[in-house]
Amino acid sequence: MGITKKYWKGVDELKQTPSFIQQRDNEFPYQSSLDSFLGDEKLAEASSGRRDFLKFLGFSVAAATLVACEAPVTKAVPYVIKPEDVTPGLATWYASTYYDGISYASIVVKTREARPIFIKGNADFGFTKGGTNPQIIASVLGLYDGERLNGVRKKGSDENIAVSEADKAIVAALGKAKEVVVLTPTVISPANLKALENLKLKYTVNGQTAVKVVQYDAISYSAIRKANALNFGEGRIPSYDFSKAKAVVSVGADFLSTWLLANEYAVQYGTTRNPDGAWMSKHFQFESIMSITGSNADHRAQIKPSENVGVLNYILKGLGGNGSASPSLSKEATATADAAIKALKKAKGESLVVCGSNGLGEQLLVNAINQQLGSYGVTIDLNNDVKLFQGNDEEVNALFSRIMKGKAPDVLINLGTNPVYNSPQGEALKKGMERIGLVVSTSRYADETSSTSSFIVPDHHLLEAWNDYQPKADHYAIAQPTIRPLGDTYSMLESLLVWGGMAKRGGKDSSVAYDAISAGRMDFAKLVHNSCEAVAVTPFQPTFSARSIKSQVKSGDWEVVLYQKTGIRDGSMSSNPWLQELPDPVSKVTWDNYITMNPRQMESMGFATTFDQEHGLNLASVEVNGTTLTLPVYPQPGQAPNTIGIALGYGRGANGEAIGRAAYQTKEYGGLDLDENGNKKTIGLNAFACLSNQGGQVLYSAPVKMQKVDGTYLIAATQIHHTVMGRESIVRETVLGEYLTKDKEAYNPAHTLQRLNEHGHHEEAPIEEFDLWNAHPVEKVGHRWGMTIDLSSCIGCGSCLVACQAENNVPVVGKDEVRRGREMHWLRLDRYYASDVEVAVGEKKEDGSFSYSEAEIPSDNPSVVHMPLMCHHCNHAPCETVCPVAATTHSNEGLNQMTYNRCIGTRYCANNCPYKVRRFNWFNYPSYKKFTEVNPAQDDLGRMVLNPDVTVRTRGVMEKCSFCVQRIQSVKLDAKKEARTVQDGDLKTACSEACPTQAITVGDWNDNSSNIYKSSKDKRAYQALEEVGVKPNIWYKVKVRNEA
Amino acid sequence: MQKEAAIREPLILGHKTYHDVTEDVCKPIEDKAPRMWYILFSIALVIGLYGVGSICYLLGTGIGVWGLNKTIGWAWDITNFVWWVGIGHAGTLISAVLLLFRQKWRMAINRSAEAMTIFAVFMAGTFPLIHMGRLWVGYWVLPLPNHFGSLWVNFNSPLLWDVFAISTYLSVSLVFWYIGLIPDFATIRDRAKKPVAKRMYSILSFGWSGKAKHWNRFELVSLVLAGLATPLVFSVHSIVSFDFATSVIPGWHTTIFPPYFVAGAVFSGFAMVQTLLLVMRKAMKLEAYIHTKHVEYMNIVIMVTGSIVGTAYITELFISWYSGVEYEAYAFLNRATGPYWWAYWSMMTCNVISPQLMWIRKLRRSLLFTFFISIIVNIGMWFERYVIIVTSIHRDYIPAAWSMHYPSHIDIAVYIGTIGLFFTFFLLFARYFPVLALNEVKTILKGSGQSYKESPDYHKHH
Repeated sequence: MGITKKYWKGVDELKQTPSFIQQRDNEFPYQSSLDSFLGDEKLAEASSGRRDFLKFLGFSVAAATLVACEAPVTKAVPYVIKPEDVTPGLATWYASTYYDGISYASIVVKTREARPIFIKGNADFGFTKGGTNPQIIASVLGLYDGERLNGVRKKGSDENIAVSEADKAIVAALGKAKEVVVLTPTVISPANLKALENLKLKYTVNGQTAVKVVQYDAISYSAIRKANALNFGEGRIPSYDFSKAKAVVSVGADFLSTWLLANEYAVQYGTTRNPDGAWMSKHFQFESIMSITGSNADHRAQIKPSENVGVLNYILKGLGGNGSASPSLSKEATATADAAIKALKKAKGESLVVCGSNGLGEQLLVNAINQQLGSYGVTIDLNNDVKLFQGNDEEVNALFSRIMKGKAPDVLINLGTNPVYNSPQGEALKKGMERIGLVVSTSRYADETSSTSSFIVPDHHLLEAWNDYQPKADHYAIAQPTIRPLGDTYSMLESLLVWGGMAKRGGKDSSVAYDAISAGRMDFAKLVHNSCEAVAVTPFQPTFSARSIKSQVKSGDWEVVLYQKTGIRDGSMSSNPWLQELPDPVSKVTWDNYITMNPRQMESMGFATTFDQEHGLNLASVEVNGTTLTLPVYPQPGQAPNTIGIALGYGRGANGEAIGRAAYQTKEYGGLDLDENGNKKTIGLNAFACLSNQGGQVLYSAPVKMQKVDGTYLIAATQIHHTVMGRESIVRETVLGEYLTKDKEAYNPAHTLQRLNEHGHHEEAPIEEFDLWNAHPVEKVGHRWGMTIDLSSCIGCGSCLVACQAENNVPVVGKDEVRRGREMHWLRLDRYYASDVEVAVGEKKEDGSFSYSEAEIPSDNPSVVHMPLMCHHCNHAPCETVCPVAATTHSNEGLNQMTYNRCIGTRYCANNCPYKVRRFNWFNYPSYKKFTEVNPAQDDLGRMVLNPDVTVRTRGVMEKCSFCVQRIQSVKLDAKKEARTVQDGDLKTACSEACPTQAITVGDWNDNSSNIYKSSKDKRAYQALEEVGVKPNIWYKVKVRNEA
Repeated sequence: MQKEAAIREPLILGHKTYHDVTEDVCKPIEDKAPRMWYILFSIALVIGLYGVGSICYLLGTGIGVWGLNKTIGWAWDITNFVWWVGIGHAGTLISAVLLLFRQKWRMAINRSAEAMTIFAVFMAGTFPLIHMGRLWVGYWVLPLPNHFGSLWVNFNSPLLWDVFAISTYLSVSLVFWYIGLIPDFATIRDRAKKPVAKRMYSILSFGWSGKAKHWNRFELVSLVLAGLATPLVFSVHSIVSFDFATSVIPGWHTTIFPPYFVAGAVFSGFAMVQTLLLVMRKAMKLEAYIHTKHVEYMNIVIMVTGSIVGTAYITELFISWYSGVEYEAYAFLNRATGPYWWAYWSMMTCNVISPQLMWIRKLRRSLLFTFFISIIVNIGMWFERYVIIVTSIHRDYIPAAWSMHYPSHIDIAVYIGTIGLFFTFFLLFARYFPVLALNEVKTILKGSGQSYKESPDYHKHH
């Protein structure tokens, strides 16, 4: 029996005095009712004077006016029943998998209050090992796009119809059809494949299936499959392992950014770029455009796309293989090829040769070279083949030809492809499709292709759906939903099952897809937790049979390369403002595509080679395969002479389709920009129309005719000066030979200043011995957060930038503002080209040839350095001293803090920042009309992507990188709860987490055992602008090129 | 009465009596304003209101309506601020420093120079206010007790020093100017016939009755204020220059700035005085009081300060090379040969070459030439600030962040608007206030009046 103790508030309660009882019972003792007030008879006699009356009147009017002011309606709905796994204020992470037809990654999705807000790579599970790319990170924003279809559409109507109505019509049509074609991006989902198989079984004509599945990839790699079919008997794409390749030769393959499973390769490549490791890979690149991969190469040669085959032949021959006589190559290309041959031989099979061309001749040569090198089984694994990109150009082309000729199937089921936009047939194909009896689409938008469909049964967003994937033979992965579907959308898997008669619609909380995927799995929970598992592989032991055919790539006086940009790629995410505003890592241009051309050639042809916010670039009109595009010409150092590059993925929505507001041009004062016919203006032009189908292959290069046309075009670039002007204190680079043999002073000299010693003589002393200020009390006390950035590892992919934007609610400002130099990115990627008067980027030539005017002009084929730059959190921060109201201050953990609430917006801090990393809110980005189309924070849906841990800034205040202070607080709190100190590795900033090559290390510098501390003491570590004396908390590490 | 050498040019020309002085100064106030005044006033007012409208748009929309960007956080705003503060320098220098040095020629010009100072400081003060991202919390720059806890201003910040410097300068100048006006207001009050005007001037003159006691106090206060104002003349622009000098930006971080800025300020201030007075003396028929000699004196000041400024420019260039600091050297090379070379060479031409022409006596005594040069000097001084501010930050340490500045039409409208407002105020001043310190001028009438100097008695008496 328990003892119930009683406590009293006071003696009154103990004694239960009458006054206490009265007080207790009368909860609101001083309240008098209105009736009793009005009923007071004295009131009638009371007189109020004229003054009193006026006072009351004035007060009432003022009060009424104030009340009439509209207060913003804020909606906050509390949980009635708290969901088990949602705690307000705490993030929940879900392991999942990303696949969109061109990228694949194991990911982890962060949700807050049941909203997915952030995606990062899964470093613990899956073969992508945490590697992502800007598109994968930014895809979370696509979830909250208000123009995503919200319900089933019937052709010719903007009203939604019931899904049952569409299903009925579709099933009826399928039953009657003699031929059904399912056009789909490569299906790597076993469950979907099963559903398609079932569809084939269900709909038959005379015992034969009426259903045919055609896989169509926006970007085709079918030449690799075809070449392997010829050489090895099976059309496989092998797994490549760049981490084992001591010598890498890429002929036009942008394998760090857009080629095949680039995010996997970037991680692998990153591990081979450590100059302190047992070995460092040697990377040769032969290419026409300056790609991200090319910008990282140790040796880069400029060739025309038609010369790919020549280079490959030359290498094959040099290796002792059976290379045919090659056409004459430039001296530079020959020299680079000779060096490549030497390196390949030296690597003894631990090497990899890849080619970006979709020509069969090239891919056969690549196979022959790799066979000659003995790379199969070392860096190339045919056993564990890649299941992505199964599209066959010949098959697709045959189908499209039939459709255009009107000999189309009775029913076309389009599982999210967009060939009207991204195939060269384009509009003609659209006309053909309009004649098909029934076209069903599962596209998420009423896009170029699906807008002509009889029915669109929109698929879920990737983050809303259950899915399973088999990206490689040995790998099975699960994608789990991280949010209840936002709109009336229908899992594609469910749709296929319903149309195949295998399931009934399950409504909003449908478990049809889940059941299909989890069927028969006892350990499904574990599988979902890990997101993937290994699958046994049937060994494939082929023999190599040599084949060669003539290249289908035509040469011309001028040739064009149709390439992908890392942010936009095939254009499927072109309504994603984060990606549109992501500066291209090489050109630094946002919101546009353009013609890249060699600046020296441009000069001789009369094109402007410099531009800024008010001075645009000249236009040129190019004719490729019968398509004419007029685009601005961008001066791209490193572009091979007589070649141009045009990015694919632009010009979406040429007929004003509802593919997202940010996919169209906006006006200077807000709103969508319309042309003279009242149509929305596309961003850039569609270069897919320039593709050609030669000998059964879609080719991404072609001969081109070009002509300068009148007019200029304003370009929005985040960087308009491209060299480092010989400044040695910003970027530092060296070559491996020098790094390994010489001491630190040779490649990473410390800054010194002169001072007088006690004998009155001049002596040199290191810069840290000079200080006007008292040391900031962050040394050796508590935490001191720091960061190192390894310029050797950084490949400039742009993932960190997008991750930072997503994590920190960085506003999108649109093309016009970027052009004016007002992008808000907290983290920027500076890209520098070497000039002819520099030995390397940032190292002046000693022969007296150096001049600033020459240093402004990049070399013809320059070496490139990518330098991520964010707030340096200086311990002697110049921004802190000049703020009149102390809005930016130093924390006792070494952070330079920005107090938005206190900021009055003088911008003095930004002016006084030597690194120019501070960003000012020039407008009210979350509400000003100029940004309605581009800034996701302006609508109710888009706002859901905002990170609730980070304030959305108002206009007139300064902002900048905070070192993800919300994450710092969170790891400190976690450590405190667990009664321990913060461990090294606990803290990861958004940028360090997103980096596929682990170039960024963060941690507590006061912890002498931490990686950051050790890294900062490395002989490669230096501080940018150290001699200014601001004592930053960021160290860079010298870039080491694997040159002789 | 002060003695003066006979060969000195008289400061007051013609046969003026004490009454004539009173008449000459008061007439424009008492008469109907000429048509020209209305025309000029309307133009100035329209331009001024356009500027006010632009400022309202700026405050309503955001600083983004200007042409600034992530690299260039200040451009026309602070250029205009420094330019106006510079112009506002002449008044106090004339009234305070020249008073202490007993330069009697100042009496003809000090009133309007001080008025100009005050209006220029008003205009100058506008820019630091409107350049703030959040003007509505701008009062946080004042060290006020507050409810934010122990939140205090940052006394390390030169911007805060600016707040104190400018506000002190404005208040002292205003008081100084007003003290001087009191006896003159009283004179106008005594002559006024219309009751409203009489009442107004009576209030303005604070009951001045011209007793010896009053004059005694007047003289004392003037002297004390002159003593107070003199250091301010040097402190204000020194402190304004600290905004740049204490920063780490090459081209800003320069120890030469305080004297160089003060000299530049006096230089531009005198130029503005010339511009205004050359028109005013003609329009208000004050040729007898403000004449070639005064203009020549001012031109000498322009010449000397212009030479100081020129020396500073050359010194800066030399030091940028001699320092061996890469960034500093490039900053100056970029000024002279970079994308803003035209601004640099406009500045050099206007500020270094043009004042040197004043060595030629004929030119410095030419009113037309002076008027022309006075405008050139102020154009040059605007460019000087633009060059210092914009060309330094548009290409500083990190080349990837380099940018260009192009003004928006709001930038231009706000600037032109302040010129409109300045002239609006000045025209009102010229219409309703005694533009000459008439009671002070009377003190030199016998000492330096032409008729007295030429009379045979002048030398006998003394």
